[in-house]
Amino acid sequence: MIGDLTMKHRTFIVTLALALTQGSAWAQMSHNHASEAACETTELRCASKVTPAFGADGTLWLTWMAGGQVSVASSKDGGRTLSSPAQVTQGKPNLDWGPDARPKIGVDRKGGIAVAFSTFRDKAFNGEVFYSRSTDGGATFAAPRPITDNAESQRFEAVGFDPDGNLFAAWLDKRNRVPLQQAGTKYDGAALFFASSKDGGATYSQAAMAADNTCECCRLGLAFDPSGHPVVAFRNIFDGGTRDHAVVTFADQKTPGEVHRVSVDDWQVAACPHQGPSLSVAADGTYHVVWYTNGKVRKGLFYAQSRDGGKTFSQPMPIGRSDRNPSRPYVMAGPRSTEIVWKEFDGEKTSVSLVTSTDAGRTWSQPRVVAATSDSSDHPLLVSNGRQTYLSWMTKADGYHLQPIEGEP
Amino acid sequence: MKRMTFVAMLLLAGLYATFAAEPSKLKPFERGSWQRLLKAHSGRPTLIHFWGVTCGPCKVELPELGDFMKRNPSVDVVTIDADLVPNSDTAVLSMLEGAGLSAAENWMFDDGFPERLRYEIDTAWQGDIPRTILISRKGEMATIEGSAEPAMLQKWSDAQTIAAR
Repeated sequence: MIGDLTMKHRTFIVTLALALTQGSAWAQMSHNHASEAACETTELRCASKVTPAFGADGTLWLTWMAGGQVSVASSKDGGRTLSSPAQVTQGKPNLDWGPDARPKIGVDRKGGIAVAFSTFRDKAFNGEVFYSRSTDGGATFAAPRPITDNAESQRFEAVGFDPDGNLFAAWLDKRNRVPLQQAGTKYDGAALFFASSKDGGATYSQAAMAADNTCECCRLGLAFDPSGHPVVAFRNIFDGGTRDHAVVTFADQKTPGEVHRVSVDDWQVAACPHQGPSLSVAADGTYHVVWYTNGKVRKGLFYAQSRDGGKTFSQPMPIGRSDRNPSRPYVMAGPRSTEIVWKEFDGEKTSVSLVTSTDAGRTWSQPRVVAATSDSSDHPLLVSNGRQTYLSWMTKADGYHLQPIEGEP
Repeated sequence: MKRMTFVAMLLLAGLYATFAAEPSKLKPFERGSWQRLLKAHSGRPTLIHFWGVTCGPCKVELPELGDFMKRNPSVDVVTIDADLVPNSDTAVLSMLEGAGLSAAENWMFDDGFPERLRYEIDTAWQGDIPRTILISRKGEMATIEGSAEPAMLQKWSDAQTIAAR
């Protein structure tokens, strides 16, 4: 009798325990994490991060992070209607939710689709970069595979197809800390690593290093120069602690060139800015770079250009209203003009501002607000189909935006 | 019955310690919290430290602040978890405890739109941490971006004591 009662009581206690545990887990998850997104399922409207790319046939491809998964879908009508999404990840991947992390997508001329994303390996935020591809028009994706077999930490990947259809990938890699830590020495930041794929992302070459001791928590900017050479912009660590920006141009997909400094901002900071640059190379070979700094020399968002293949850069031009917390700049050199977008915040709403240059970045229009939202939002991105540049922006309150902006007065 | 009650209490106590007690120790930092915090500490020298579980330099600085608090009982020490990525209450509390800061006034950002929380504190702040704000008795505010030097903090605290005499 007592035994029976005890059993019943125990069942009740176990139920209560489960209820409390689940409640607590939910409360922790939702603390400031889940609320970044509008909902918890894998649909586009629930996404916290969305990345676009156009195919050669004008189809818009989107990859996004929602409901803990990476998905892909396409649109033939500028984002108004979407194809049935294909899920790239399965199970419960612990996707990298760093402020500058997002899934990446590239589409080759034959319609092959390459995707890359990163996950956390452990509670110390060590990452792992995975890649996948679709050869059936985005209907299905291959099971994601690690881009390198190194087991340290890889994050902030960037991928793109060069004009010949070769796939290039770069990321921030912490493998070099191992020998230093074993010797009892401190290792600064991460290293810029790269690999390439000649088969559309089915397999990648052995990873190699382009630069050591870079900043470890900021997105990379990747573009191709008119000859098809990869160019990467990144936040570097100069002189042991100055987190200013740099550019490296590759001689080919295997050979990184010299690292050149974009600007001496003198941001000496023992912190992670979580805000990386954006890079676009125009058809005339001009490099356009935008970035954020909080250095001794200058603070805020800046733009500079290089007309000598990334060796020297123009005097940085400030972007945005300093009293509106300008952030997350993005630049795109389109066929007729070059655009820069960024976020501003007025205490209540976030707006996306735009400036345009029709003379390859020598002079710029007055800023104009092109979109706004009253809740949290992804970084504003620009995407071009070769004829028109679009703003691609995911917002929690108003969903996904794709709006044409190039050439507007 | 006694035994059952005991089992229940034991289990509940365990659960309480594991889950229920922890979130209650962190104050949710919401819209308006900043002004309320400033008002509550008005007239007292106050050190407000912004940090996060995922921030490397914060791991080094947090125990230094724990030492500072021990040595400077006349300064109100406030911590605000403002990580750019989500932190669990458990991880935050465990780091605070390890640093000797359990007794400080500990907050955590609680808004899916953290820009508006940062904007109330400093319109120019992009969210980089660590970050420390020192407020004197008279309300003069100084912001330190990145890690703060313990010697500098001590100098500031000593100056507050002298000013009070």
